[in-house]
Amino acid sequence: MSNVLNTIWLIPCYPLLGMGLSIFWSPGLSRRTGPRPAGYLNAFMTFLALLHSILAFAAIQNQSPEYFSVSWLDAASLQIDFEWSVSLTKTVALIVVTGLNLFAQIYAVAYLEMDWGWARFYSLLALFEAGICTLILTNSLFFSYVMLEILTLGTYLIIGYWFNQSLVVTGARDAFLTKRVGDLFLLMGVVALYPLAGTWNYQELTIWAETADLSPTAATLLSLALVAGPVGKCAQFPLHLWLDEAMEGPLPATILRNAVVVCTGAWLLILVQPIIAISPIGVTTTITIGAITAIGGSLIAIAQTDIKRILSYAVSAYLGLVFIAVGVGETQIALTLLLTYSIAMALLVMAIGNIVLSNVTQDVTLLGGLWSRRPITGLSYLVGVAAFTAVPPLGSFWTLFSLTDHLWTTQPWLAGVVLTVNGLTAFSLLRLFCLVFAGETKPMTVRSPEELWLMVLPTTVGAGFALHLPLFMANWELLPQTDNINSIPVFALMASSLVGIVSAVLVYGNNRPKLAFIPQAIKDFFAYDCYTVKAYQVTIVFVVNIVSRIIAWFDKYIVDGFVNLIGIVTMLSGQGLKYNNSGVAQFYMLSIIAGVALFGIILCFPFLV
Amino acid sequence: MELQLEYYLILAAGLFCIGIYGLVTSRNVVRVLMSIELLLNAVNLNLIGFSSFVDPVEIKGQVFSVFVIIVAAAESAVGLAIILAIYRNRNTVDMERFNLLKW
Repeated sequence: MSNVLNTIWLIPCYPLLGMGLSIFWSPGLSRRTGPRPAGYLNAFMTFLALLHSILAFAAIQNQSPEYFSVSWLDAASLQIDFEWSVSLTKTVALIVVTGLNLFAQIYAVAYLEMDWGWARFYSLLALFEAGICTLILTNSLFFSYVMLEILTLGTYLIIGYWFNQSLVVTGARDAFLTKRVGDLFLLMGVVALYPLAGTWNYQELTIWAETADLSPTAATLLSLALVAGPVGKCAQFPLHLWLDEAMEGPLPATILRNAVVVCTGAWLLILVQPIIAISPIGVTTTITIGAITAIGGSLIAIAQTDIKRILSYAVSAYLGLVFIAVGVGETQIALTLLLTYSIAMALLVMAIGNIVLSNVTQDVTLLGGLWSRRPITGLSYLVGVAAFTAVPPLGSFWTLFSLTDHLWTTQPWLAGVVLTVNGLTAFSLLRLFCLVFAGETKPMTVRSPEELWLMVLPTTVGAGFALHLPLFMANWELLPQTDNINSIPVFALMASSLVGIVSAVLVYGNNRPKLAFIPQAIKDFFAYDCYTVKAYQVTIVFVVNIVSRIIAWFDKYIVDGFVNLIGIVTMLSGQGLKYNNSGVAQFYMLSIIAGVALFGIILCFPFLV
Repeated sequence: MELQLEYYLILAAGLFCIGIYGLVTSRNVVRVLMSIELLLNAVNLNLIGFSSFVDPVEIKGQVFSVFVIIVAAAESAVGLAIILAIYRNRNTVDMERFNLLKW
């Protein structure tokens, strides 16, 4: 059985192989057969990876983690090892990633039926899968960074999948640059960490962090740099705009991005938590960013009309909760939250995709009255909502409960944040449900057949998985202990979900929102994402733009001008001096006489003085 | 007032300067040639002055000045021939019209 664990490095290799092979079905290479085999091949490869992960999960039960290492670079005094390890948590994460990827790939077979770009799409999905699996397996901060960068590039390419649409191009640009900024700060942290700790191995870093003797400034800067990477990756305030614009990409990729890719940053954040914990300011920043994003994201989600963007802000909000959990040191809760969150979010996005494909529009105000004709999708969506928010007995309830219970005694205001976010998210998700499924039929939804089985199957299987998640969690002892439960947080949490759900149903139940009492300015403020686009434009983009224009001007006119000036002076002096060559013999005689006289004066000068 | 070597030399230098002035400013070629003769005469004056005051026994300067007069005559002959040749081609003796090499 240990062969399964020794060959765990194969898991990222399956999708990598699929990525390489699917290129052959790109339209430029195979002009006759069409791109579909690329999808089948990649789904098969993902299935192999999933199988391997499940076997590894079975093999690692009751075993201590295993560590592996291969020398990657050995130059002078710097030795970088490619280190990876297997543990129970990692195999669970692998199963989630490969499983969700399998869902997304099967889903995409139907969703992209009218699309020619399967080779590109599936190879990018495979790149994501390989990158995330490597990120999970790797045991070195350095290679985590490498994987995050590769995933940033992958995000750019996959958002830019339909690159003939202008919004796709700007969205992909923003996603790349925003995540890149965070990654670059992370790189500063990673590089600064090495001279201090002497290692990038997570276990050794944890041991080092326990007794690290750093100056407060160094510790603060280090932990802020390490937080900045995940802030960009997880679409946290203020680097959150990219996730909104990333919704321009193809929907099956959104399943993966919302459910998994944004979790890569959180995964890294959980691993570097001991280092962040060295600095109190770093911890406060983590919690503050998480809280601001959680509240802001859930408020913005309520004000959106685009069905996909409602979900994308819920993503930011829930990863904000992960930030809070990491900030208060509860890494186990954060990991569990990632697990329950990913499955529920994947289910929500798949259900939304079922609606989008057959109704064309993504505007919730143009949708309505689908419940009677789309019961499977509607039920799956409801399961997703229940699994996403704190509705007992499904997944997120238990993790949110653990979090609230922990915060209730230590930092009550953070418990309030969790409760608020839970209530607001329940409200926004139910608002989406009421607008899409309840009410009257709109012109866009008059005829709305259920989708192909290839889309419905992953949705329903995902719903089943979300329903069974509490059983798995009970099996893996992830549920909170029941003997010393503080009953107030339980009821507070359930009450917040209930208030959110009931108020959404009351307000949007008959598809006619009664929110006239809220000033239009506030509605617009949240609907336009707190004017983040404007904020970027007048701050960072403006400054960088001005500075680069000034530098370009300086380069063009001052630097180039100086060099050109030398050339021009030489040319002009040649042009001017040629007139000395007057053609008059007497002038030449005069020059000779003057030269001789001057020479004589110079020679005689010592004697004259 | 004793006649001294310096007076001869200064007179020769003055003559030389006048010759150069004429050489550079004249527009007529013949006058340029005449200025050259003036220069050569200034040189002869130097040679004879030096030979009278510095070398009165062997008077090598006078021999040199004889040669200079000979060569000056030859040079004038050649110079006038050249001027005639140019005049036949260009129909002028204006120095400022002979500027074929102008930039």
